[in-house]
Amino acid sequence: MEKLKVDKTIKLVAQLAIDISSQVFSKIVKRNTRVTLERVFIADITEITESMAASEGEIVASSIDLTGDVDFKFLFFVDTKDSFLLSDLMLGKEPGTTKALDDYALSAVQETGNILASSISNVFSTNFEVDLKPSPPAVLHDYPGSIFEEFILDVAREKDTIFVIESVFEVGGLDIKCNLFLLPSHDSDKILTYIADTI
Amino acid sequence: MAKRILVVDDAPITRLMLKDILVANGYDVVAEASDGVEAVEKFRQLRPDLMTMDIIMPNKDGLAALEEVLAIDKDAKVVMVTAIDQRDSLMKAIHLGATDYIVKPFEEERVVAAIINIFGGTK
Repeated sequence: MEKLKVDKTIKLVAQLAIDISSQVFSKIVKRNTRVTLERVFIADITEITESMAASEGEIVASSIDLTGDVDFKFLFFVDTKDSFLLSDLMLGKEPGTTKALDDYALSAVQETGNILASSISNVFSTNFEVDLKPSPPAVLHDYPGSIFEEFILDVAREKDTIFVIESVFEVGGLDIKCNLFLLPSHDSDKILTYIADTI
Repeated sequence: MAKRILVVDDAPITRLMLKDILVANGYDVVAEASDGVEAVEKFRQLRPDLMTMDIIMPNKDGLAALEEVLAIDKDAKVVMVTAIDQRDSLMKAIHLGATDYIVKPFEEERVVAAIINIFGGTK
């Protein structure tokens, strides 16, 4: 029962955060952007770890700790090629200009992750009076399995599930597939259940 | 002579976006810093007319760096930069003595208006 309530809260937070992110991202790239929430689901950490390890191709990720009334670990990632597109869009360049991973492509993912994490923090504080403070984003470029293993390192022993949010950023005919992982700390369930009871 | 500005942010892409806006509007970006430690060091060396300071940064955050900069020069002009809804941090920054703030994702008009306002209508 408690798990269902936590699930309900996370789905609502994800939807609200994606709505804010659409508006915010449109401002960044100065083009109409639609961020579509494709799926939000609870996944078994072991299964996701295996799935990530089996994924091919390097990714660029932004990892942020959200701490405060509830603690989360947040991971945003895109395929390396999509980081080039993000960089071109943010810098107002023609999409396709960036051909290789550089500081700006890494940083585009870092900042997009930062904005998404801040949107989540905003949803919690505005709607539920739950305060969260994001850490500086860490940007990573590696294989999905390596990044995910590092991401869950501290909490894998106490948590067996993770929230997965799949979304697509549609910017002027370009689709950038984005993935977010949200990992609540063990003691956050009480607050998330409380939020579910109040909505 | 163009006003000299120090841009502080841990994200290179944000520094570049800000720099492009500032240079296009006639300002001289004298240096960039990627964290609070570097920001204080460069402020001490260069004494810019103004600095833009991200709040959430590694090593030393923007609030701690702001305090140190104001301890060096109580009249330093510092515009805080942060992502949406870091209201508490912004209030703290204003209380500490920040001159103004801009919110990411920033719009060119807002950035320029804030800076023109600080310099009393002159570039």
